[in-house]
Amino acid sequence: MRGSSLAMKGAVLLVAVFVVFKFVAPLVTAPLPMSLIWLYLFLTTVGIVVYGTLSSESTEALLGPIFRFLGGDGLNGVAKFARLAVLVLVPLLVGGQTYSELVPSSQPPAENRTIHPAPPGEFVGLTNPVPNTPENVMMGKGLFAAFCSPCHGPKFNGNGPASDGFNPPPANFVDPGTIAQLQESYLFWRIKKGGVGLNVEGHPWKSAMPRWEVELPDDWIWKIIMAEYAGSGQKPGTWE
Amino acid sequence: MVGMPSRHARLAVLAAAVAVLWGTPVLAQETVVVRVKLIQGEVPTDPTAPIWNTIPATEFPMSPQVHWPKRILQVTVKSIKVRGVHNTKQIAFLLEYADPTQDPADAAALEFMVGDKKAHFAHGQPMAQVEGGPVNIWYWRNDAPGAADMNAQGFGTLKKQAQQDVQAKGVWKDEKTKVRFKERKLIPRKDAKGESAKDPKTGDPLFDEETKVVEQDATGVWRVVFTRALTTTDPNDAQFQLGTFPNIAFAVWDGKKLESGDLKESGSQKAVTSWWYFNAEPPTNYSIYFYGLIAVVVAAGLEYVIIRKVRKGQPA
Ligand code: HEC
Repeated sequence: MRGSSLAMKGAVLLVAVFVVFKFVAPLVTAPLPMSLIWLYLFLTTVGIVVYGTLSSESTEALLGPIFRFLGGDGLNGVAKFARLAVLVLVPLLVGGQTYSELVPSSQPPAENRTIHPAPPGEFVGLTNPVPNTPENVMMGKGLFAAFCSPCHGPKFNGNGPASDGFNPPPANFVDPGTIAQLQESYLFWRIKKGGVGLNVEGHPWKSAMPRWEVELPDDWIWKIIMAEYAGSGQKPGTWE
Repeated sequence: MVGMPSRHARLAVLAAAVAVLWGTPVLAQETVVVRVKLIQGEVPTDPTAPIWNTIPATEFPMSPQVHWPKRILQVTVKSIKVRGVHNTKQIAFLLEYADPTQDPADAAALEFMVGDKKAHFAHGQPMAQVEGGPVNIWYWRNDAPGAADMNAQGFGTLKKQAQQDVQAKGVWKDEKTKVRFKERKLIPRKDAKGESAKDPKTGDPLFDEETKVVEQDATGVWRVVFTRALTTTDPNDAQFQLGTFPNIAFAVWDGKKLESGDLKESGSQKAVTSWWYFNAEPPTNYSIYFYGLIAVVVAAGLEYVIIRKVRKGQPA
């Protein structure tokens, strides 16, 4: 019957919208706040109503089955129980939603920190001026052990003895998500300017990464960069 | 009964309803927030006040300060337990940590951001691309009565404020406790012949890493309470609103005197954390329940109206 199919299609569409935004979207992005999902559901509902009430015929097709369902005459079995459930649940949902909109949050606001924000222009495209010789790598490893390993760990994995108190934790260079994605030029920026060199998206006020330019000469930093890649078994990212 | 659905169908509808109602899963992030509980009456200025036993603690691991010189690679205090209470006027934080010796130079501090600008956790040091603000530091030291209410905006700028608003009191007890921390060991890897294994490419000796959380017995506990009004008249101070999530950071010094005569930890050589959060619990607002209830009643009323209308409109 055409009638029941329009109301049914509307219901299916609403459920689909809910499932997509609630459960599918978080697979690719950050979870959406419930208030946003409600907004999408509301807009979808408005759309269905506008479409459904274009003609008196379609109005009946849309609202008729809903009204008959709510009226409850002639329903039995699962349908009868579902009607009862809907009648009870809808007010509870509305009440619960109102409550959760008003209740003060018990969790800190989500702070979405960008781990790899864009570097300042002068740190784009620099090449490592230090020749990649075993001696230089060895010296870099020594410097890394002295200056970096307390936080980033003797095994380059972020598990240093001084790493526990810091949030965000020191980067794990063995993880393919850190230096393997970055160019040497980017590391040079991060090591030289430290956590306080990040832009606002990187939340510089939280980072324990020191600003090494005040302590280490540039050629030491370049040697440490070679050692970081050698020691963690990674290769620098390349220009695509 | 006529027309009752099968048990399974009913259960399915119920399960669906529960799933919808439970739409937003609550994440277990408890440990990053100090829950500052609302209490009746005066906030306790004494670390041994019994009320502290009723307040849940949040534990934060601490790092030796290796962020800027002068660094330190080993510190006494590996973690700190923090509790908080307020009575809508005054706020109190209790720090609890294991320190085997009571020394005159033992010290602890809390740090907050002042104003709306973000401040770096290391003394509000300047940031290259973000305009930062100052930090407010509450400092207690065993041999100085009370607390120092201080400000900093960059290394070397720490100074005592003209207006002092913070009180503190520390009590050390020769009491048994447990310390939990991550222990890390590097174990030289052996080859088949039992000799130390080397990286075939570089010839570097190879190590395996062993990390485990250990719990050690310890004797000696510091409990230090800091108290202040939630808001003060001093523009140099951090100001706290109920229900918000201000940042908080911690520092602890073991002021034990070494044989050399130097203190084990002092100045920038200390145990630290970076920024975490606290939340001063707002008073329960009963009007929220009331508004929720109104919403239920309105929705139910609407249903009633619709059903009546439908039933009337239907041919008998
Ligand atoms: C006090 C602890 C500490 C020390 C010491 C330290 N770092 Fe870091 N480092 C961090 C933290 C925390 C982060 C993550 C936050 C950030 O990106 O700023 C980080 C991030 C980095 C990054 C960025 C990685 C990425 O994926 O974006 C690099 C590169 C780096 N550190 C290199 C070094 C080098 C080289 C040294 C030694 C010269 C060093 N660090 C010493 C704490 C430290």
